[in-house]
Amino acid sequence: MAATRALTIPDVYERFVKGKKTDESEWDYTTIPQNATALKEKYHLNFGKKFIPEDKKEMNDLFNAGLEMLVTTGFYNVDLKKVMHLTEEEVWEGIRKTPTKLILGEGRDIARFYPRHGNSPVKPIIQGGPTGSPISEDVFVQVMQSYAQEGIIDDLVNGVMTTIEGHPAKTKTPYEIRATMAELRATKEARIRAGRPGLGV
Amino acid sequence: MTNAGHRITDAHECSQLNELKMDMTGLNMLAGWTTEGDTIMIEQMPIFGGYCGGVEETAICDVATTLASFALFSGNFHLDGPIHIRWGTTTNRESLQIAAHAAAAIDANTDLLLANQYYPMAGPCTEMCLLETAAQAINDTASGRELLSGSAAAKGVVQDKTTGMEARMMGKAALATAGMKVSDVNELLEKLVSGYEGNYNSAPAGKRFQECYDVKTVKPTAEYLQVYDGAVQKLRDLGLDIEN
Repeated sequence: MAATRALTIPDVYERFVKGKKTDESEWDYTTIPQNATALKEKYHLNFGKKFIPEDKKEMNDLFNAGLEMLVTTGFYNVDLKKVMHLTEEEVWEGIRKTPTKLILGEGRDIARFYPRHGNSPVKPIIQGGPTGSPISEDVFVQVMQSYAQEGIIDDLVNGVMTTIEGHPAKTKTPYEIRATMAELRATKEARIRAGRPGLGV
Repeated sequence: MTNAGHRITDAHECSQLNELKMDMTGLNMLAGWTTEGDTIMIEQMPIFGGYCGGVEETAICDVATTLASFALFSGNFHLDGPIHIRWGTTTNRESLQIAAHAAAAIDANTDLLLANQYYPMAGPCTEMCLLETAAQAINDTASGRELLSGSAAAKGVVQDKTTGMEARMMGKAALATAGMKVSDVNELLEKLVSGYEGNYNSAPAGKRFQECYDVKTVKPTAEYLQVYDGAVQKLRDLGLDIEN
């Protein structure tokens, strides 16, 4: 049956609320491994030693196995302890609704984020940064500048500032959000120092 | 500072939980961002050797969670990062296989925008760190990914052990790989990964940013440039036409 529409965040929440109550350990230790193993066997998946698949059938089989995994298994909400389900048609509606082109950053420093397909001669976007690694407050600007100044880099990703005004940036304390805001200010300063103020983050 | 300092063309990140799980904090953030029209990146790092099991099972979960990022959570692009339960890296053989198979499978069937993140074992200013980073960049590029994000050297857990030089390698290796025949890339990867995967127990810890760069001028040290040139030469010897 055709989907009514792509799922919104409130739709997903409502489905979690109406979902089946399930113990998290059953989900982790039974549902996930059993379903993944069954689909591996159903689609006869065996990657062998190859890093990148070269056989189109193998790619399609893995895609269908993953799609079936999502549709038959559903998704688990750890706070509500409930499982929601969606249909294959709803997965495709979600895919169709997703933009296939994005712009990251602004002005002369934008990166155009378009599909490549296969090993296209077009270079992927290079998003440089510590990717969540812990970075000292006193060198945060310089660390981010070391990425922003590299010509091969098209976009930035933050590190995590470990302290703010000397206080540990602990979660669930006011220092957490103050450190996050300081990261954004420092990254902006790094972009400016590198001469690329419009770089996306 | 509008939008808390984040522009509409900067990415807002929300992480799924392992495996095929989400929490209410994530849904609440997404409710705000979708209302505002923000650019949304959904992250998920499937664990090889964890709840899913082996390489193929983890790749199945990887495809499932990637599709969920778009079908359930209104993501605009997905940030992957299959991670090894023992090594805690994304540059090991199994993680590379999982990432490449999942990306190629989704790439062959959709126009979705796919990213991957980098957690090498070795620390900055070491040849091993740069070769691990290059291996993943080669793998991600040839399997069709659109964005490479990193690199969190020293597994992303040691303070100040990441620098722009590792990202330079990530970008240059990707640039050199784009357009190569995938069968040639597979041969290259076999040689490259075989060269470092025996060294996980003795991986070099590397140096902190403050030892890799002049902190005042933000220029890499002569030592790091020499290590970088050595890694580039090794990649050229393996058949990658990479610029330094």
